[in-house]
Amino acid sequence: MFRFKNKQEIANIAGVKIGGNPGELATALAGTIFYEGHSIVEDKNEGLFNRVKAEDLINTQASASDETGNPHLVHIFGNTATALTNYVDFVSEITDAPLIIDSPDAAARMQVAGYMEEIGLVDRAVYNSINMSITPKERDFLAESDIDSAIILGFNAVDSSFKGRMDMLENGGGLLDKGLLEIAIECGITNRLIDPGITPMGNGSGISLRISLAVKAKWGLPVGSGIHNAPSSWKWIKEKRKVDPLAYRMCDVGSAVLQQAAGGNFVLYGPIENASLVFPLCAMADIILTESAPFENLTSSPDHPFHKLI
Amino acid sequence: MENTTATWPVVRGDCVPGNPESRIAVVTLASHMEPDVNAAIWGSCKTENLGAEKIVANVISNSNIRYILLCGSESRGHLAGQTLLSLYKNGIDENGRIIGSEGAIPFIENIDEAMIKRFQRQVTFIENIGLCDGGEISRIIEEYKNKGDPFPEPPIMFQQPSSRCLFSMDEVDADVIVAENVFMDTSCGLIYEVD
Repeated sequence: MFRFKNKQEIANIAGVKIGGNPGELATALAGTIFYEGHSIVEDKNEGLFNRVKAEDLINTQASASDETGNPHLVHIFGNTATALTNYVDFVSEITDAPLIIDSPDAAARMQVAGYMEEIGLVDRAVYNSINMSITPKERDFLAESDIDSAIILGFNAVDSSFKGRMDMLENGGGLLDKGLLEIAIECGITNRLIDPGITPMGNGSGISLRISLAVKAKWGLPVGSGIHNAPSSWKWIKEKRKVDPLAYRMCDVGSAVLQQAAGGNFVLYGPIENASLVFPLCAMADIILTESAPFENLTSSPDHPFHKLI
Repeated sequence: MENTTATWPVVRGDCVPGNPESRIAVVTLASHMEPDVNAAIWGSCKTENLGAEKIVANVISNSNIRYILLCGSESRGHLAGQTLLSLYKNGIDENGRIIGSEGAIPFIENIDEAMIKRFQRQVTFIENIGLCDGGEISRIIEEYKNKGDPFPEPPIMFQQPSSRCLFSMDEVDADVIVAENVFMDTSCGLIYEVD
């Protein structure tokens, strides 16, 4: 459908390649496990959970990835360092996929990232995220660590407009001494995955799609988002869900395609339970986008759904 | 004097209006509970930025509201409850950061200082973070729903600024516009940036 004139960077995280022009590489898909309210979690502070169900969920995602060719990452959410550490220990034994380390608590993120470095998993760690709230302590930690992959969140809570978010990436938007992209480089992040930040529907949810295009046009960096957070904050569909759960699930899962169509290279698709639906959907989109490419010289990987499923 | 704006609530979110004449609004933080229609408005607040903003906007646009019951479970990391209390007690600094908030990204975008001062003068918080007992919440609503008078100033209308491009289509020579300086030439499907 379109191609970026600027050279597109491709991140390589433990063998998983993310980036490029639309249709070039299969979209990388990350399901979230141990998220807030996840039924398999028994104690969210201690990180106790149903191990049988967790293993099944991770294996289902891995199988869907094998079948379609869309690489997968496991997005691990934890409230505390104890919980996150338990989760990382478990998930890293089940799969070789990259692990996105996510916690609202920066201290927990840092502690677990440091732990992954200690036990030799640092090449699989994706730090989530470098954002406008980054502290000098967090910057120092990342700079001194071997973490080289991170999601850079372009969310700007003071100016959520297109310009505000682009400024946050480029120059800090007047709130940081420099842009998040430069901060990430100083922190030793070579695999910079840009997430424009999804705001609720009614609060500029779609701006992230324009930013996706602009980031790739300007810097050629891999982009993606957790776009399912737009429908999951949509009051109407949440009410509708009570009488028609499928309608909600369709919106939740289907939103991933919007990110792909806007040049997205990765999608944080939300609850890992949706893997069996998301992977076929995104594989379909990847195939159609590959066929829509305006230039013939795109070098799709042999694992691309276009080659595996057609 | 009308005590509410012509259309109220002025911003939408995970909230439902009840009796707009009521003196009490209920914020259930990260918890979801069946609303009590005797509250002026009832809703959750999970984020320390947009969520907090919406509460201020919907409160200052209804002068009948004099109390906010803060209940339900705190949203971890975001700490929306602690942030709301910080906003109420301390306001914001010159960068829009909520002073004293321990939330992850506690910034205000669309509410100005005058609106925050109005919010601080208009309401009193009833702090009950952690309270999830519907019976007790209803009892508090009953106690406060008619307590005192409306705030003796007109409601303040809140309008979210437009985030659209400010330039005219006539000013650019491109067939698809992504942003002010990012265009697409549909004849060859190229997206490019112009300095």
